[in-house]
Amino acid sequence: MTPGGYFGRALVVDLGTGTAEALPLPDDVLRATIGGAGLGSWLLDRLAPAGVDPLDAAAPLAFVFSPLVGTPLTTSAKLAVVALSPLTGLPSDALASSHFAIAGKGTGHDAIVVHGRCAAPSVLVVEGDEVRLEPAGDTWGRGAADTEEELRARLGRAYRVAAIGPAGERLVRYATISTDGRHAGRGGLGAVLGAKLLKAVAVRPVTKVRPADPDGVLRAAADLRTRSLGPATAKYRELGTLANLLAFNALSTLPTRNFQASSHPQAADLAAEDLGPERRVARASCAACTIGCAHFYAASGGGKVRVEYESVFALGPLCGVTDPDAVLTASRRCDALGLDTISTGGTIAFAMECVEQGLLDEPWLRFGDAAALHRAVELTAAREGVGALLAEGSRRMAAVVGGDSIRFAAQVKGLELPGYEPRTLQAMALGLAVNARGADHNRSGAYEADFAGGHDRLHGGAAHVAAAVTSEDRAAAMDSLILCKFLRGVFQDPFPEWAALLSTVTGWEVDGDELATTARRIVVAKRRLNARFGATAADDWLPARFLDEGLTVASGREARLPAERLRAMIDAYYAARGLGADGAPTAATLAELGLPPVAV
Amino acid sequence: MGSPKALLPWHGSTLLRRVVGLVGRVVDGPVVVVRAPDQVLPALPADVEVAEDPVEGRGPLAGLHAGLTALDGRAEAVYLSAVDVPLLHPAFVRRVLGALDGDDGQGPADAVLPEAHGHRHPLAAAYRTAVAARVAALLEQDRLRPAYLLDQLDVRRLDEAALLHDPALRTADPTLASLRNLNGREDYERAHAEPEPAVSVARFGTLRPVGVRAPVEVLASSVARAAAAVGLELDRHVVAAVDGDRISGDPDVPLAGGETVSFLSAEAGG
Repeated sequence: MTPGGYFGRALVVDLGTGTAEALPLPDDVLRATIGGAGLGSWLLDRLAPAGVDPLDAAAPLAFVFSPLVGTPLTTSAKLAVVALSPLTGLPSDALASSHFAIAGKGTGHDAIVVHGRCAAPSVLVVEGDEVRLEPAGDTWGRGAADTEEELRARLGRAYRVAAIGPAGERLVRYATISTDGRHAGRGGLGAVLGAKLLKAVAVRPVTKVRPADPDGVLRAAADLRTRSLGPATAKYRELGTLANLLAFNALSTLPTRNFQASSHPQAADLAAEDLGPERRVARASCAACTIGCAHFYAASGGGKVRVEYESVFALGPLCGVTDPDAVLTASRRCDALGLDTISTGGTIAFAMECVEQGLLDEPWLRFGDAAALHRAVELTAAREGVGALLAEGSRRMAAVVGGDSIRFAAQVKGLELPGYEPRTLQAMALGLAVNARGADHNRSGAYEADFAGGHDRLHGGAAHVAAAVTSEDRAAAMDSLILCKFLRGVFQDPFPEWAALLSTVTGWEVDGDELATTARRIVVAKRRLNARFGATAADDWLPARFLDEGLTVASGREARLPAERLRAMIDAYYAARGLGADGAPTAATLAELGLPPVAV
Repeated sequence: MGSPKALLPWHGSTLLRRVVGLVGRVVDGPVVVVRAPDQVLPALPADVEVAEDPVEGRGPLAGLHAGLTALDGRAEAVYLSAVDVPLLHPAFVRRVLGALDGDDGQGPADAVLPEAHGHRHPLAAAYRTAVAARVAALLEQDRLRPAYLLDQLDVRRLDEAALLHDPALRTADPTLASLRNLNGREDYERAHAEPEPAVSVARFGTLRPVGVRAPVEVLASSVARAAAAVGLELDRHVVAAVDGDRISGDPDVPLAGGETVSFLSAEAGG
């Protein structure tokens, strides 16, 4: 019998033939992987041919739901998009919250997988087990939000849509997939759809999820809703994630001018504390969410723009720009074009430093020049001029630019760093270096420990390693259940509390220990999958800038991250994770967690 | 004094809690408290280590030896502090430790000894951990005065002018109150009655009242006192950073004059 919250099958669609078949998902697989990022890893391992290029027709891409999707549990309307990343060449998962998750699961599947390539630009329509391909028509070339609106107008309001923008169509290696205005943003999975000539997926629900204990789920949902409105989420409700910026600036953790500095003297111009009251015109919640973290500011020239810390940091101080209108305009254009704002800002900032160092002959592309920033964004999405280079991401760009530019290309495994300075957040430094999908703040939230003050954030050691491991495990559980990370502060004893939710939905008797082991298995499974696709220990490292150049924080203390300290932390992390010197899980670790050998 | 100095109250905290916090702010390595036999200590941060001084009454060299032994192999230098110096400023510790490495162009030394207010201050001084063997030999010989140790070392002596040559210390502690010991009840009561240090309070995110852009100045000797002064309630959702550096959720983190304490959401990131 299928456990509550699941349908026990994935829909696998061949875009070349327009046909689909069901892939059974046995109970033991579901219990071992839960859903979301965990189940997505399993699907990718099962369906991705060895050595396949991420942009090859044969490369699969999965929209993966979870047992909690469709329940009234707050923040559970999320999905993981899982595929090989065109940016990193390694497995990647990108999460988004949206009605698409509820409707997609309502087709009666725990995941929808696409592989193959359409004969012409198309839209995939899924209603239950029925699938069909329709011409993308004039949506090809348009923004994701416009496409979503047009398809819902054409097909009906019951349909929900995930779509790519022009950047995905042009195979920009950090193009997003958008739904409800939210982006499955990191890793360039929009380019995977673009390579398949698939503009969008439209889903219509035909059934509903059935939890094992409906009354228990309602009680848990009411409790979680109440807790979600408390002080742990106040920051997100009242100011949104941009509340990070001014505090990060004071703590020397705000990456500035391509990580040449960790604070910006004009950062206050971008402060949510001031801009919010002045400019906020709306606040919104994702589907089935009670937090309401989405803050919209009035945009110059009319309309409104969603404001997020990561977008503002990357398109602002990282590029030396602090004019709020300029930064918000760049952010809005990235959203419309379907560009990951972090990698966009990171790659442009890298290019600006290349120009500064005389390595790139684009004299107009200067730090602090808002017009140059806007021009670079448009060129990137169009792959025109220097945009063809920018569209490749900073690591590939460094290989072309040459010189010693790779030492200041702020990326790990090809994925550009988020807005957390590793030298002044050294638990996070480790998290950025070792995380399976690359430099990332959602799969490794080790910055939390740095900001909590339990250890000296400028001097990484054993406590930082423990924090990085714990953070990854918690993220793996939340990304597989799926629950929003912004809820994390409401759980005082996370694994037992999450296990109780999972038990109520599925009917399994899962306790905190089992869920903690499952989380660890999911992290190790990702490491195993990385190894299968060629990752080695050399990929777990930070760019030379972070190891060779120090920073001075406001107190006058110097922040340095010597290579030997990072090496020691990585070695300790490998030991704690049960990885060998090559960075891959050892045979004993795989056996203990019930995972197959690396090469199968 | 009437009660053990380590336990003496200091504006909601204790003398010892205050001093370990002020010293810990400057050093990169561990802070070690040397405890006499059966001595009761106040609550201290979890990362503060406690070393036992096995024999009572053998003076500061015995305490120094116990501390150096506890730090064996983990530090190259130490700042030695008495407990009864609540007016100690981190800038003073930074100045003295910096001089040990010759950061003022005088070359490295075995020890740095402040000489001010007409006294030498071996309990507000910096020492190389390598001096441990000499300390042990002196204890073996029952030569218990710090002067015996200093006589054997390459000592960098800092008089008032030399100490205050450092602009940071000159601004933070122009009278060198850092060296003011509380030797009796009257000293303690007089110091305790003085105004608390003037510090700046910055608030971020939802903790900042609308329109309050600049930090505000308050008199507060700890994070808890600073929070109270601006009407901020501390709970697990709030952390504080001193001078944009060390972050803590501990309300007893001490503050010294001229420092800035920043309050921010513990739910950082996202």
